[in-house]
Amino acid sequence: MTPERLEAKRDLLISVLDTLIPADEEFPESGALALDHVLAIAGASAEAGSLLARALEAIEAAAAGGEARGFAGSSVTQREELLRRVERSHPAAFEALVRHTYDGFYSHPATIARLGLEPGPVQPRGHRIEPAALPDLARVAARGPIFRRA
Amino acid sequence: MATDGRIDVLVIGAGASGAAVAWRLAGAGIGVVCLEQGDWVDARAYPHWRADWELHRHTDWSAEPNVRRLPQDYPVNDQASVISPLMYNAVGGSTIHWSAHFPRFRPSDFRVKSLDGVADDWPIDYAMLEPYFDLNDRTMGVAGITGDPAYPPKSPRQTPPIPLDTLGLTIAGGFERLGWHWWPSDSAILTRDYDGRRACVNCGPCDLGCPIGAKASTDITYWPKALAAGARLVTRARVREITLGPDGRADGVIYYDREGRERAQKARAVVLAANGIGTPRLLLNSRSARFPDGLANRSGLVGRNLMFHPYAMARGVFERPLGGHRGPIGCSIISQEFYETDLSRGFVRGYSFQVARGLSPIASANGGSVGDRVPWGREHRRAYGERFDRTITVAIIGEDLPEPDNRVDLDPALTDGHGIPAPRVSYRLSENSRRMLDHGIARAREVLHAAGAREVAANPLLRAGGWHLMGTARMGRDPATSVVDAEGRCHDVPNLYIVDGSVMVTSAGVNPTSTIQAVALHVADGMIRRRS
Repeated sequence: MTPERLEAKRDLLISVLDTLIPADEEFPESGALALDHVLAIAGASAEAGSLLARALEAIEAAAAGGEARGFAGSSVTQREELLRRVERSHPAAFEALVRHTYDGFYSHPATIARLGLEPGPVQPRGHRIEPAALPDLARVAARGPIFRRA
Repeated sequence: MATDGRIDVLVIGAGASGAAVAWRLAGAGIGVVCLEQGDWVDARAYPHWRADWELHRHTDWSAEPNVRRLPQDYPVNDQASVISPLMYNAVGGSTIHWSAHFPRFRPSDFRVKSLDGVADDWPIDYAMLEPYFDLNDRTMGVAGITGDPAYPPKSPRQTPPIPLDTLGLTIAGGFERLGWHWWPSDSAILTRDYDGRRACVNCGPCDLGCPIGAKASTDITYWPKALAAGARLVTRARVREITLGPDGRADGVIYYDREGRERAQKARAVVLAANGIGTPRLLLNSRSARFPDGLANRSGLVGRNLMFHPYAMARGVFERPLGGHRGPIGCSIISQEFYETDLSRGFVRGYSFQVARGLSPIASANGGSVGDRVPWGREHRRAYGERFDRTITVAIIGEDLPEPDNRVDLDPALTDGHGIPAPRVSYRLSENSRRMLDHGIARAREVLHAAGAREVAANPLLRAGGWHLMGTARMGRDPATSVVDAEGRCHDVPNLYIVDGSVMVTSAGVNPTSTIQAVALHVADGMIRRRS
């Protein structure tokens, strides 16, 4: 399966991503946030594209072997069980799928903002650290030399 | 082949040690040319200026050459090693990527054989290096505070220590409760403007470089001064071999220039500063009838006794946010409570704790240096939320003792982009190191719990932790058991010098760059003295 075929399986990919990182009260599911990154990686790196395509192919094959509703039509429990089977049968490809999903989700500005951080480059703004007095080092210093003189 | 005119001293490598030597020699009026296989890093090219900066940590800005695979990198076969070597090829070398944790070796580190009956003593000692530590501190710029009882008194640090912030204060509380040693880290990161450089703005990812020059990388510390003193630096110049004259002395090198043309550079002396893997690789690639096993290798020790510093990592999870994304990633606190030998612990020598900052968003998901990825599925968001900005990682950095079978040699098949044989690394963890790291993990658990952690996870050995490359051309008095003498001169080739981590006899239990640079300055002064 080529990256183009991965793109063609977009709906399946979105369902898989949504299962890997489902939405909660604050965060949307990863299909909405990680998809563009996963597709971009598949296009940019033949090695990554091949692994991702292999993972999706295995998921598709596993889903076809189950009930007729396919992956997207299965319950969350069934989807997770299926993904765990693929994780065991295709560990390298599945690891790449999870890693790139996490990369895409946790680099997305919407995620960053929800984590309480300021999205965007860390320079030139940096981070402000409130001035605070250094803890009293007297106890440590009072021990005297703890090195061996040689 | 084009041949450049003979110069006084040729330095190979523009990183931590090569820059220091070039500056010192040029300042003494010696003609210096440095060949560097990498390029200058443009401050505008750092990932920090992009919103997706964190994605670059595992791609084009990875510290692993085998991951990064830039044209200026060479591959390293590390399949027979439990630790992957890290390095960077550029003006500044690996100081571009380092965390700038800047402790010195301690006096006992130079007397390991005499004090503890293992490894070997160095032919130089702390007292000899002390003025060079101070000189190097002034040039690099060190944030810290004097009075640490783990060291002999030091000269005033150039700027106040980096702020501990919530994370540092939290773990300091743990050390205090246990009554253990701790101290704000000496860090080569400015907290005030100094020497024309700006203070740190606490953006976080120093491991991707410092785009504002607050972190000391030698492209912005030593090199501007070296160039002003007359040194010449040639980038994208990859040395293939060191050549010998009919008298058996080094007379220069053959290298590939930026356009891939083969050139020769003649020199009266050659200084190797290509790191603990690159230096033995180049010596082993420089074979001749006089040195069929590699240049300066009559002892058979070139490439042997590779020391990495094995790292174990312990990560505590806390109930409250710690602000760990703020401040220099690798620096807050050092503890040397378990540094000196105590045989009741079950191992010889010791280790330091290095407390780093928290994990960035992607690193949090992937488990950071502990590597326990947050599970996917319905539990993901809850599990992630419990971890993000609530972790403190304690690194255990153990003294790695020299062992001949831990080594660098040449791979029989792998080559770099110029067809030069690539290095192959063989390294296994010794039983002493394993016991040391296990002890460190147990003590790290104690201090994390004492600081309030509700759970602690550990990585018994960090694979991607080969930051420190040492020992592969060791220093010593006896030509049969060492490669260079006390002043960095190869026993077999007296006008060939080595100044990088290769010459280190032992590794100590701290980050080595401060000591590597002090040794390099000491070697440079020996060259100046002999010339005059």
